[in-house]
Amino acid sequence: MTTPVLELDGVTKRFGSMTAVNDVSLSVAEGELVCLLGPSGCGKSTTLRSVAGFETPDDGAVRIEGRDVTATPPNERPCTMVFQNWALFPNKTVQENVAFGLKMAGVSERERHERAAELLSLVEMSEQADARPEELSGGQKQRTALARSLAPDPDLLLLDEPLSNLDRKLREAMQLEIKEIQATLGTTMVYVTHDQDEAFTLADRIGVMNDGRLVQTGPPSDVYTDPDDRFVESFLGTTNFVECTVAPAETPQRKPSADGGLADDRVPLETPLGSSLAAPASDDLEPGDRVTASLRPERLSVSVDTDADANTADDPGAFAARATVENVLHRGSTVRYELTVGDATLFTERRMADRLDVEPGDAVMVRCGSRDVSYFGPAGARV
Amino acid sequence: MSLGDATPTDSDVRAAFRRATAAVSGRSAGLVAPLLLFDLLVFVVPFGYLVRISLTEQATAQAFVEGTWSLDGYRFIAESATIRREFVFTLGFAAVVTALAVGIGLVYAYAMWRAEGPLRVALVAGVLVSMFTAIVVKLFAAVLVFSPNGVLNAALVGSGVIAAPLTLVNNVPGAVIAQLYIVVPYAVLATFSVLATVDESLVEAARDLGASRPRAFLAVVLPHTVPGLLVAGVIAFTWSVGSYAAPLLLGSGSERTVGIEVADLLLQEFDWSAAAALAVVVTTTVIAALTLAYLLMRRQGGASAEVAADG
Repeated sequence: MTTPVLELDGVTKRFGSMTAVNDVSLSVAEGELVCLLGPSGCGKSTTLRSVAGFETPDDGAVRIEGRDVTATPPNERPCTMVFQNWALFPNKTVQENVAFGLKMAGVSERERHERAAELLSLVEMSEQADARPEELSGGQKQRTALARSLAPDPDLLLLDEPLSNLDRKLREAMQLEIKEIQATLGTTMVYVTHDQDEAFTLADRIGVMNDGRLVQTGPPSDVYTDPDDRFVESFLGTTNFVECTVAPAETPQRKPSADGGLADDRVPLETPLGSSLAAPASDDLEPGDRVTASLRPERLSVSVDTDADANTADDPGAFAARATVENVLHRGSTVRYELTVGDATLFTERRMADRLDVEPGDAVMVRCGSRDVSYFGPAGARV
Repeated sequence: MSLGDATPTDSDVRAAFRRATAAVSGRSAGLVAPLLLFDLLVFVVPFGYLVRISLTEQATAQAFVEGTWSLDGYRFIAESATIRREFVFTLGFAAVVTALAVGIGLVYAYAMWRAEGPLRVALVAGVLVSMFTAIVVKLFAAVLVFSPNGVLNAALVGSGVIAAPLTLVNNVPGAVIAQLYIVVPYAVLATFSVLATVDESLVEAARDLGASRPRAFLAVVLPHTVPGLLVAGVIAFTWSVGSYAAPLLLGSGSERTVGIEVADLLLQEFDWSAAAALAVVVTTTVIAALTLAYLLMRRQGGASAEVAADG
């Protein structure tokens, strides 16, 4: 295997008594776009700033192209950064901004000019080459900042929430442009964002961060469908969390089911739903432990029949319960249904075209396949 | 006409808006009035009076002859080689003090900007305490520190850095040091006020793009600081051209500033028309220098004002 472009090895950064980054290890391969995703204050920006050289980790190592740069000043690292506020030099023109890194590298004026022109045409800013940053719109500033960071041809491009100051439409357009530029130039990128849509649009791999820790890393679809941790499940998309308790060992449900099916591999849970759920068997679960079940709204099926046993015999871990429609909310392109199930409320969504013919007060059946429910143990780890 | 389809309501709104803005500007003129009145009473009227006295006949029996018109005062100062030499010395003195004050001010302000915690508090306190100390107290303190048997020389000789005490008072360096004591705090604050608006991410961006610390300072911080340096320079220069106390107390007896000369003409020679003429010439020189600085600042100001708004 070739050397990764970036390797973080147990990076830890403390500010006073607060640990901003806690033992983060990550490896980014050449040409890869990795998004660090997490809520504000989760340590993702500090992690990025440690890579850029603006923060020195208290523990651990940062390696770029195999070289340990943990103590190297930012100007000697082969990476550049796009800042959240873009940080364009106000007393320089767009062209001078873009050429700045080359000037610092001692590139001749003619070459600088050519390279800057090349990049400005890549980001479609050739016409504004002589403008000052104050004359540019937000989108144009963003493009200039991107061109400026790409100009020295860095081994690694770091982006710190570069689109968060743009309005939604422009942000979505810029996401696609960044993706396109990345495909054209093949630049390795680490992209920090708190916006999950952005991360899913851009990333080859997502690293979800919480509380200074890198909780899970993987391709976007894996992280979404196969979360390691309760935090990941709650941070990505919306879901129904149901608090359950592991049933006492002597309950009859614990015994093998009559048809000798898969019931033995599962641990029954007491739920407020008026119907049981069964978590995958685990040595870590003791009777009485609190387990959180997550039922993704898009995985819940709702039907108007009321036969509780239909279609569940072949899937012992499946969930089926009677429910009452509480509320029907039209949300533009989708319709949200709030259902009362036992003592709990679940919601599900349908696209406008697939909406259900139900009204508040209607009795329905809500079902979910055993593979579509995720369970998280008392400490938040996936069961 | 593009506004042809405007409804009456629109024009009503516009008219109301015009009335409102007119009322506001009327009110703002009212708010500025006390300041204008103060300027008029304290600066314009006395200066007019000064100009008038400078245009009276020189007299031997009295300070000036009321009601006469003459260029005697100006002729006197133009023909006096001493005054011409003093004038050149004063401009040179002010230029040296200005350059040093701006330089020291920049270094000090930069240290204040970069420092954190107790060090920053100490640096800020150093400026403020010095600024709020009366000039006379400050100058006598300078005498105590810089005189041949003063604190500084005692320390230098005691530590063996120099063999014999340096003469730092009653000569030109003494006057410069004393004048710096007065103007440096203002230069520091003028520079710091602009430095404080530097967006630190600009420095980081420069560093990120390969600039060493000194280069990042030259490329990003210094251009941003220029308006502050100009203000610092104007304060230092204006004050030093008119300096009186510092060169009188710590300067040499032979190299006198115009300020000392004006005082002498007024109080010793009792020649008010010449004193007034000299004061008018100095004031005009300062105003010319200020205008030049203002024009420079206008050229520099646009970009930095924008940065301040961004920050």
